[in-house]
Amino acid sequence: MANPKKTVKRHCWSNLFTHWSVAISTIVLFISGFGQMPMYARYGFTKIPGFSWSGNYKITLNLHYAAAIVLIFAVTYHLAVSLMRKEFSLLPRRGDLRESWQIIKAMLGFGKEPESDKYLAEQRIAYLYIAVNVMILLITGIIKVLKNTDFYQPGASFIFWVSNIHNAATFALLFGVFGHLVAFVFKDNRKLLPGIFTGHICCEYAKHRHSKWYCTLDVPETTDQLPAVQGEILTVGD
Amino acid sequence: MAEAGQSGVGAMIDLSKCDGCKNLAVPKCVSVCREKNAANFPQPKEPIPLNFPLGTNEDWSKKKQLTNRLTPYNWTYVQNVKVTEKGKTAEVSIPRRCMHCDNPPCANLCPFGMQTKSQEGPVVIDKDGCLGGAKCRSVCPWQIPQRQAGVGVYMKLAPKYLGGGVMFKCDLCLDRIRKGEVPACVEACPQKAIHFGSKEAMRQLAHQRAQEISGYIYGEKENGGTSTFYVSPVSFKSIHKALMDHEVDGKNGRMGMKPLAENVLDSPEGMAKQMLFAPIAGIFAAGMVAYKTMKGAE
Ligand code: HEM
Ligand code: HEM
Ligand code: SF4
Ligand code: SF4
Repeated sequence: MANPKKTVKRHCWSNLFTHWSVAISTIVLFISGFGQMPMYARYGFTKIPGFSWSGNYKITLNLHYAAAIVLIFAVTYHLAVSLMRKEFSLLPRRGDLRESWQIIKAMLGFGKEPESDKYLAEQRIAYLYIAVNVMILLITGIIKVLKNTDFYQPGASFIFWVSNIHNAATFALLFGVFGHLVAFVFKDNRKLLPGIFTGHICCEYAKHRHSKWYCTLDVPETTDQLPAVQGEILTVGD
Repeated sequence: MAEAGQSGVGAMIDLSKCDGCKNLAVPKCVSVCREKNAANFPQPKEPIPLNFPLGTNEDWSKKKQLTNRLTPYNWTYVQNVKVTEKGKTAEVSIPRRCMHCDNPPCANLCPFGMQTKSQEGPVVIDKDGCLGGAKCRSVCPWQIPQRQAGVGVYMKLAPKYLGGGVMFKCDLCLDRIRKGEVPACVEACPQKAIHFGSKEAMRQLAHQRAQEISGYIYGEKENGGTSTFYVSPVSFKSIHKALMDHEVDGKNGRMGMKPLAENVLDSPEGMAKQMLFAPIAGIFAAGMVAYKTMKGAE
């Protein structure tokens, strides 16, 4: 039995940067977007001490634009890095739907969990779902920004569709992010959490839950060997 | 499509001519506006729901007769103020309504795309799709659109919990303009104080008149440019002050005339330019990181 404190590197700092710049900008876009909706005054939220600013469209609009800049930067960075490094482990594969059903069944105690690569089948599906919605929001958002300038005034029905696709994708993404967070309520997934903060997860967990990925790592059998390029072994408190 | 702000129609309102129709109970421009638009006024069904959780709504249906402010049943009104300037006191009457701005924040920022600047220039609200969030009123420098509860699509959804009614304002008689006629108020004014024509012609007329009376213009630069040009013998700085002191009562439907009123979209527009660089910066950063990784892997 290996030392449970032994960890394996799962995410490089570039992945952590991508995840958190997308996550934080998206959360700010949700908050400021709902301010644009116009919800906070309608539901009396502005009456809560410290939140009167939330009803100020000037503030929420500027916040939305600022967060959109961060999101556009993060998304192009992510796409470009993935292409240049040829990292496609998050893209869904054939059979992922069936496989994620097996994983869910196994988590509920029925049957054996299939062997997984770096990401579980449902993580790949979640990635695609979130990515598609973010892209829809990005494209419609950019059109909305253009329409707000002096020099571009598209027709009424175009504005109608762009606005309402932006709104619908907001709710679809909210649902996706909610599901993403609920996933960590399940104990089986929770061991992935340290990974998105520190970059490392428990070695033992990686071995049994992501066995296919673990096999590709250059993990030495004993800890006294030099760390390998990918998947170096670290001991907490080292 | 583009340039709607540049071409299109406009109006010039000559405050040196308007006398506020003091001999009439209701100024002529106001009464013809009400007649002309009577069929477009909201007809809420009782009981009108109260919005959850605040327990409020905006119901003007029992105050339809009001003509001394903008309401969903009164799309233009005349402000009468005494303005003191350079030791002289003048009485000014100002017909007020939507200015039909060049880059209207009310229409641009509608979350549901229910308000648009038409090709002809007037800014119009689609009353069949408006949910009555009143964002257009908040982002308008003059808080022009007014809300009536109990009408519109929100009544078909969950009226207590979502939406609040429909917003109403002047549409510059777009239906008449499309038939080649002038807006009702223009035609009715006994003093010929409201001029109507192409926006550029109205701008020129305003400058010409301002020169004649060594007066001032309002509406050319405000909110980034509008299609309504007021010309006044006294400065709008003084008019604004007088309005704020004696006319504006802190409730909906009465407004000042702040010179150079800002457009809320100005500072986001600055950011829109920075947005252009975000993808370039993203790709550049990715290139640096990928290059390092490849070198590291050698
Ligand atoms: C708007 C916010 C967020 C978005 C759009 C987002 C998106 C994503 C995506 C697309 C992935 C990769 C696939 C997957 O694991 O499903 C991921 C991974 C992850 N996210 Fe998020 N996320 C957000 C917020 C958060 C938050 C608030 C947390 C935790 C506190 C979190 C924790 C994680 C973890 C632990 C992983 C890595 C899973 C692994 O190592 O395999 N995320 N996120
Ligand atoms: C996760 C991403 C995003 C979410 C959840 C989101 C959500 C929202 C919501 C709920 C609204 C209010 C309703 C509406 O006006 O349609 C809104 C408005 C707006 N969004 Fe986004 N948005 C996102 C990304 C973006 C991006 C990337 C841009 C620009 C590039 C953008 C530009 C805008 C603009 C300009 C408005 C203001 C209202 C308007 O001009 O009509 N959004 N957003
Ligand atoms: S005056 Fe107000 S309501 Fe009219 S177009 Fe301008 S911003 Fe919109
Ligand atoms: S604009 Fe004409 S109709 Fe309207 S109040 Fe002035 S004088 Fe009367």
